[in-house]
Amino acid sequence: MSAIDRLAARTPLPVGFYTLTKREILRYVRRPKNTFAPPLITNILYFSVFGVVLGARVGEIIGVPYILFILPGLIVLGAISNAFENASFSIFHGRWNEYIHETLTSPLSYTQMVWAYIISAAFRGLLVGVIIAAVGVAIISSLYQPVPVENPFYLMAFMIVIVLLFASLGVVGGLLATDFDDLTMMNQFILRPLVFFGAVFYSLNDLTPLLRDISLLNPMVYMVNGVRYGFLGVAEVDPNLSLAVLAGATVVVASIDVWLFKRGYGLTD
Amino acid sequence: MTNALEITNLRKSYGDVQALDGVSLTVPEGSFFGLLGPNGAGKTTFISILVGLVRKSGGEALVFGHDVETDYRAARDAIGLAPQEFNVDRFFPIHEVLEHKAGYHGIPAAEARVRAADALKRVGIYDKRNTRFDWLSGGMKRRFMIARALVTEPELLILDEPSAGVDVQLRRDLWDLVTELNEQGTTILLTTHYIEEAERLCDEVAILDSGRVVAVASPEALKGRGADHITIHLHNAPHSRPQLLVGDDRVESIEWNDDQLIVTAREGGLIAPTLVRELDREGLEIVDMEIARTSLEEIFVEMTHSGVDRTPSDQDEKEHAAPIATDGGHGERTQ
Repeated sequence: MSAIDRLAARTPLPVGFYTLTKREILRYVRRPKNTFAPPLITNILYFSVFGVVLGARVGEIIGVPYILFILPGLIVLGAISNAFENASFSIFHGRWNEYIHETLTSPLSYTQMVWAYIISAAFRGLLVGVIIAAVGVAIISSLYQPVPVENPFYLMAFMIVIVLLFASLGVVGGLLATDFDDLTMMNQFILRPLVFFGAVFYSLNDLTPLLRDISLLNPMVYMVNGVRYGFLGVAEVDPNLSLAVLAGATVVVASIDVWLFKRGYGLTD
Repeated sequence: MTNALEITNLRKSYGDVQALDGVSLTVPEGSFFGLLGPNGAGKTTFISILVGLVRKSGGEALVFGHDVETDYRAARDAIGLAPQEFNVDRFFPIHEVLEHKAGYHGIPAAEARVRAADALKRVGIYDKRNTRFDWLSGGMKRRFMIARALVTEPELLILDEPSAGVDVQLRRDLWDLVTELNEQGTTILLTTHYIEEAERLCDEVAILDSGRVVAVASPEALKGRGADHITIHLHNAPHSRPQLLVGDDRVESIEWNDDQLIVTAREGGLIAPTLVRELDREGLEIVDMEIARTSLEEIFVEMTHSGVDRTPSDQDEKEHAAPIATDGGHGERTQ
C-alpha cells in the first residue's frame, strides 16, 4: 500500500473513484517514454527553431523577446493535446480491447467514472505543461532574461480549466471514435489547426481587423491569451471573461460526458 | 429469502432480431443454476443485461432485489462475472488488475491487495502474479478470469462458458472450486455447452432457445421427460410376436428385429420388470437386456429442435452486443 493510498484512505474520496483515477494515472506515469519524452523533445525543438533561430529575426512582440511570447502558447498546445489524447485514447483503447468492461460492470456511478477519466487526463496535461514550462524557462533564462510570472493565480486557473475542458472533450472523442484513425484525425485536423491559429506564434494585433475578428471565434485564442496573461501580465482579451467562458464550457462538456455514459453511448448496446 | 435473480418478461431486440423474447426466470439465492441453449439462444445477451453491458428493450431484471438499471450500483456490486471473452486490462500485472477490480467495488487498497493474492492462490496462479495477462498460457488465462470474478467475493457468480477450450484437469479443478463456493453460499449462474457439466453441477437448469425459455427444471426432472430405450436380446426369435405392455401409455414404440426387441418408453426403469415378466410368460428366454436412459443432451437437442443452425449465431449475438468491432488482436498501442 503506497503512501498515496494511505493518504487517500483518510479522505472522503469514494474508493472506486480513487481506484479508477489511480489506474488511469499509473497507466501513463509508468510509460514516460510514451507520454513525457515526446513533448519534451518536441518542445526543445520548438524553442530552438521558432524561439532562438527565427526569434532572432522577429525581435520583440508586445515588448518581450519572441521566444518568451510563444512560451504560453506552447504550454497550452502541449497541455491540451495531452489531456485530450489521454482521455480519448484510454477510453477508446478500453472499448477496442473490451477491458473497459471491468469498469462498466463495477458499482461506480457514471459520474464517478467520467470524472476519474477527466481528472487523470487533465493531470497528464498539467504535468506536460510543467515539463514544457521547465524547458522554456531553462532556455529563455539562460539565453535572454528571467521568465516572469505576473499573475500566478490566473496562470494556475487557466491551466486547470483548459486541461479539464480538453480532457472532457477527449472523453467525447473516445466514445465517438470507431477506429484509431478517428483519434488521429481529431487531433491532427481539429485540435492542431485551432491551436496554430490561436495566436500562439503571433499577436492578434498583427492581424487585419477582419482576421482578428475571425480569430476571436477560436476558443484557443482565449486559452493562450489567459496563460500569457498569467506569465506576462499582458492580455489582448479580458482574462476574467475568458476564464468564465472556459469554465462554463468545461461544465457543459463534462455534463455531456456523464449523459453519454448514462446512455451507454459507444459503451453498451 | 431474497431471490438472486428475478427476471420478468425480459426483452432485447437488435433491429429486427429478437435476442430475448420475454424471458422470465427466478434463480433462488444459494442455488447452482444452469443456463443452456444453442448458439445465439440469447445467453450472453441475458448475462450482459445483468451487468450493464447491454440495455434491455423491456421487462424487468432484479439482482437480489436491485433493478439492473434504476439500482445498477447495488446490482453490479453483487455480481462477479467471468465472461467467455478475455476482456482484461493488459497494461498492468495481473495482481494489480485484480486490485483495481476490487477497488472499483469499494474495497480499500490494503484489503484489495490481500484479496487479489487470495484469489490468485485459489485458482493456482499466484506465482504468476507479476506477469501481464498476455503472457499467461490459455489455461492460466481462464483461471485468471475466475480469479477476477472472485476477487470481489460476489454473492452471485456468473460463469459464461468457463470450461470452453480448457483441458480436463482444469475443468475438474474448476468444478471443484465452484462446487465449494456454492456450498459456502454463493449463488452460481453457469452457461455452458457441456451438458455433462450442467448435469453434474446444477440444481436447476433453464433451456433457452431463440430468446425464449423453453424449460426450467432440475436435470433429473428434465431427463424424466424423455423416452428411455430398453433393448432385449432373446435366445431365439419368436415364431409370432406377442402383444406387450398393452395399455401402458408410457410406451412410445415397440420394435422387433429378429431376436432383438427395442421398447421406447418414458420411465424405462419402471417398465422393464413388467416387460421381463410378460416375455417370460410367453416362454421367451432373455439372454441380455440393456436400458439406455435419456441423456440431458438428447432432451436439450429435442427441446431446441436441433441444437445447431441457430440464427443469429453466437458471433452474431456478440457483434450485436459489442459497440465496436474488434480485430481480436488486443494490440498494445500506447499514447
